[in-house]
Amino acid sequence: MRFVGIVIFALFISVPMAYVVLVSLTPDTEVGGGSIWPSHIAWNNYVSMWVTVPLAQDIFNSIIISGCTALLAAIVALLSSYVVSRFRFRGRKTFMLSLITMQTIPQVMLLLPLFVVLVIIQNTLGVRLIGQYGTVIVTYLTFALPFASWLLLSYMASIPIELEEAGQIDGCTRFQVLMKIVLPLILPGMVVTFVFSFLLGWSDVLFASVLTNSASQTVAVGLQTYISTGESGGTVFWGQLMAASLTSGVPVVIIFMFFQRYIIGGLANGAVKG
Amino acid sequence: MENDLIVEGQVRRFSLGQVLRKRQRPPYWMIVPAVFLLLVIVVVPFFISIYTSFTQLDQYTIGNWMKAPFVGFRNYIYAFTQGSALGASALQSLWVSVSFSVLTTVFITPIGIIAALLVNTSFRGRAFVRALFLIPYVLPVFVNAITWRMLFMNGWGLVDLILSALHLGSINTFWLIGPNSFWAMVIADVWSSWPFIYLMVLAGLQGISGDLYESAYMDGATVVRSFFSITLPMLRPILGLALLLSTLSHFNNFTLPFIMFGTPPSPQADVLPLNVYVTSFQTFNFGLGAAMSLITLILMMIPAFFYIRMLRLGNETA
Repeated sequence: MRFVGIVIFALFISVPMAYVVLVSLTPDTEVGGGSIWPSHIAWNNYVSMWVTVPLAQDIFNSIIISGCTALLAAIVALLSSYVVSRFRFRGRKTFMLSLITMQTIPQVMLLLPLFVVLVIIQNTLGVRLIGQYGTVIVTYLTFALPFASWLLLSYMASIPIELEEAGQIDGCTRFQVLMKIVLPLILPGMVVTFVFSFLLGWSDVLFASVLTNSASQTVAVGLQTYISTGESGGTVFWGQLMAASLTSGVPVVIIFMFFQRYIIGGLANGAVKG
Repeated sequence: MENDLIVEGQVRRFSLGQVLRKRQRPPYWMIVPAVFLLLVIVVVPFFISIYTSFTQLDQYTIGNWMKAPFVGFRNYIYAFTQGSALGASALQSLWVSVSFSVLTTVFITPIGIIAALLVNTSFRGRAFVRALFLIPYVLPVFVNAITWRMLFMNGWGLVDLILSALHLGSINTFWLIGPNSFWAMVIADVWSSWPFIYLMVLAGLQGISGDLYESAYMDGATVVRSFFSITLPMLRPILGLALLLSTLSHFNNFTLPFIMFGTPPSPQADVLPLNVYVTSFQTFNFGLGAAMSLITLILMMIPAFFYIRMLRLGNETA
């Protein structure tokens, strides 16, 4: 009974995945040609995908943008979550409430004014902002920062306060306490926050599709180049597209598997990937 | 002697803890970066968005944005009557979005619960199965969307091939345009998001004591009866949270339809975020886009309100 159930689920999951792998190994000219089995295995797709689109550059952009976003979010969230979890002050509840509310705001609603403001600044000051790494990173913080703050807050609550008091007696300032006592304890939480924020950035399409240009586009946007050639009348290189999708997706799966046991904890605390 | 010391330590710790928390001035500077950033990139844009929704800001007026004509509620009226130049009106998109998020949540709930029950008790190879069950969820949405775009391709996609081989449908079903596109979107989304419910239910199942099932078994309850009388009621809190979060995140799902259908999508699959995107960034009608996104937000506030209530902020320990 259980065996049958698991087999059904396994098929449900793996048939689409297996088909993706199969197409990624099919010569581009044979995809859609009637037979689903390729005449020969086209390893070549995994070579030519680096040439057809600037895949290496796109992956590099994704790593830079998501990495900086995640690092900034984790550091800023570390500072704020420490204050919020250790002190009672006016506005504390408002701050926490706004962290949650911000995660429910449709991202497109923030992208629109950010884009308008960026265009106005560009026109007024004559500087180029759209397409810069910095611009994308700052706008990514709109979703990464509330997420990271909320996630770290739950880790912060689980760290005993006693050790910090010992540090205080020894004359450490609050910042020294945070750096020397709290940070080593919360390091696993910081790593998880960094990884999840990184993956949020990696998966974003909305902000990247508006705020990047061909030089700074992320891999999520770069892959669409394949599809848009089809929309403008050209042929879609499905084989290469599948190979490139797997290349940009499989590392994420591996990272997630590595951090698997933290996912459930994060979910139960209300931090969810968009 | 040793005991005394510990007791003394505890007493001191308690009073010091109070001093630290209540009397000491919080190091406000540490929270400043977060507050400043959130103000600049979320709160201020939010209000700009509200203001924009009452103006006729578009690609012509943005050069002289301060003089963008103030049009009152006209954008809101347009949103409900004619919508963007391309695609569906906001009212139609609203309906698509609501049915999409509710339907997918309804479909993934039983799937997620069954999956969690299947792997809850230990068996050989459980770790592998659990990892396998996560794959659809942890693959980036853009990869899932590209995958399903291919699976639904007309004439040669795997879905059409299987349907026609089983004589259940035509090889030319046209999943990606027209009325079927809504269902293509639902199917793709169900495939990639059911592990969310599965994970939440799995977390909830850990909290149910085995004793309950044992005594139910003693009383002669069947497995089915145990499920409905013990498992489901015990899961109610976490399941409630899961359903709310799922509805919220489906409502905000932009990536999946954007990549599956391209822009503009068929009106049947034109969810609100996508419609706002096309209106704002392809026809550059910022005022109308802002009005539509505000309508989205107001709708989102209904599940969000219940979500915040469920979290019971302030009850948690500091």
